[in-house]
Amino acid sequence: MMKKFMMIFVGQNYEQLGLSPEEMQASMGKWMAWGEKMGKQGILEGGHALTADIKRVTGQNRTITDGPFTETKEIVGGYYIVKANNMDEVVKIAEDFPDYEYGNTVEIREIMVFDR
Amino acid sequence: MSQDKIIDHLFRHQFGKMVSILTRIFGFSNLEIIEDAIQDTFLKATHTWKDSIPENPEAWLTQAAKNRTIDLFRKIKADKSRIQNLDSGPSAIALNELFLDSEIEDSQLRMIFACCHPELQSKDQIAFALKTISGFSQKEIAASLLTKEESIKKRLQRARKTIIERDIKFEIPSGKELSERIDNVLQVIYLIFNEGFHSNGKNIIIRKDLCGEALRLCKMLLNKENLRGNSVYSLFALMCFNSSRLETKATDDIVIELKNQNRKNWYQPLIEMGNFSLQKATTYPIISSYFYEASIAFQHSNAKEYKDTNWEKIDFLYGKLYEMYPSDFISLNQAIALLQLNDYDKVELKMKSVNPKLLEQKQHLYYAVYADLYSKQGKTNEAKIALLKTIELAQNEKEKDYFRKKITEIK
Repeated sequence: MMKKFMMIFVGQNYEQLGLSPEEMQASMGKWMAWGEKMGKQGILEGGHALTADIKRVTGQNRTITDGPFTETKEIVGGYYIVKANNMDEVVKIAEDFPDYEYGNTVEIREIMVFDR
Repeated sequence: MSQDKIIDHLFRHQFGKMVSILTRIFGFSNLEIIEDAIQDTFLKATHTWKDSIPENPEAWLTQAAKNRTIDLFRKIKADKSRIQNLDSGPSAIALNELFLDSEIEDSQLRMIFACCHPELQSKDQIAFALKTISGFSQKEIAASLLTKEESIKKRLQRARKTIIERDIKFEIPSGKELSERIDNVLQVIYLIFNEGFHSNGKNIIIRKDLCGEALRLCKMLLNKENLRGNSVYSLFALMCFNSSRLETKATDDIVIELKNQNRKNWYQPLIEMGNFSLQKATTYPIISSYFYEASIAFQHSNAKEYKDTNWEKIDFLYGKLYEMYPSDFISLNQAIALLQLNDYDKVELKMKSVNPKLLEQKQHLYYAVYADLYSKQGKTNEAKIALLKTIELAQNEKEKDYFRKKITEIK
């Protein structure tokens, strides 16, 4: 029985990193290759990139804070959902994540399934 | 769908095009806003294209840039006189015209000429050109020029400031000013090329990129008929010849080293392009120093083997070059050519005219030439002493090793 996992991409976005057009193109090529690879294996369920606009709502008073939050170099930039038998397989998949060289991280979480 | 459809350096080159067009519309005073806006379209592309690449990536980017332009019109409260009259009825047509290929090239040439304006300091010109025309990031420029990122940042700021303060026009000059400015443009292009070609930095990709950019800029000049001439064709030829052996050269461009290169690895299409361009150069009456330099490179590039090199011709060409720009380095090279001709008296005479101090980082080559001379004359002790001096003064380990090996070969 295949389980579903979420790979969450955390770190700085390309804007913060000040990537040049050349570097962006190179990085995009790697993202595409990764997507294609997962597509061929039929394990990619979907995913999205997230914009850098952030609003946070916290506390009893529903206090609203507007991003970007300069204190944090760790923002969620996007996610993929993949099918796999176990966590270890996803770790293997995540090895191809293109942005390690920029200090970014992949967090892997299993999606919880509730019995009805 | 595969990413193969996206051509190499598309983003980088597209960036240069878009900056030029938008600067033409909005003026230099908005340069930073423009650069950010274009950067934004690439960010968008990197996200959107992950799922599906558009049929024509280049057209997609151009369209995105056009849309950004319309956004910018709303955003920038620039003074109306700077902005061409695009906001009334025929705006869409006028805007579209600026995005035509011929107009894009024209905008880029204007940018090149502005970057090479004599009001800008030489160092600033290079950094600024790499940023605005070639879309290099500060980090990439720093790596290319083996400089700290902080000082590149300063150079770019200073260039922007000077352009605005001195009100440098976004145009290609005409008349007498044009020919002077072309000289300046060629000099900047040549400096960019040499940074790539002679750099001892290990990163071959960066070095290739710099040489490639220099060739591309020079080609842009050649595309425009009234800019063509002996100097532009010659510089293009020179850079073609040198680029053809970029992959095979290990240390520095010294004639001695040419001997050991595997000529089969020289990239023939570039040599042919150089030959063609040099021939074109001969159709113009005024001869530039680049022409003699390119002619020397032609001799090397077209000799099948090292032993086939036409040293008489090279000696002659160095003589011509010296007449135009007397320099100790040219004399040294001429001495090397004479040495291959085994004309020892002339070598000694030539070497006496060279002041090694003026050769700066290439000082060691002065002693290397003497070592060769003594060795050929059978003066082994003198040759060894000269080589020891060479090794002492050589700038990097690879070169030192090369000469250490030479000592062992002297019998």
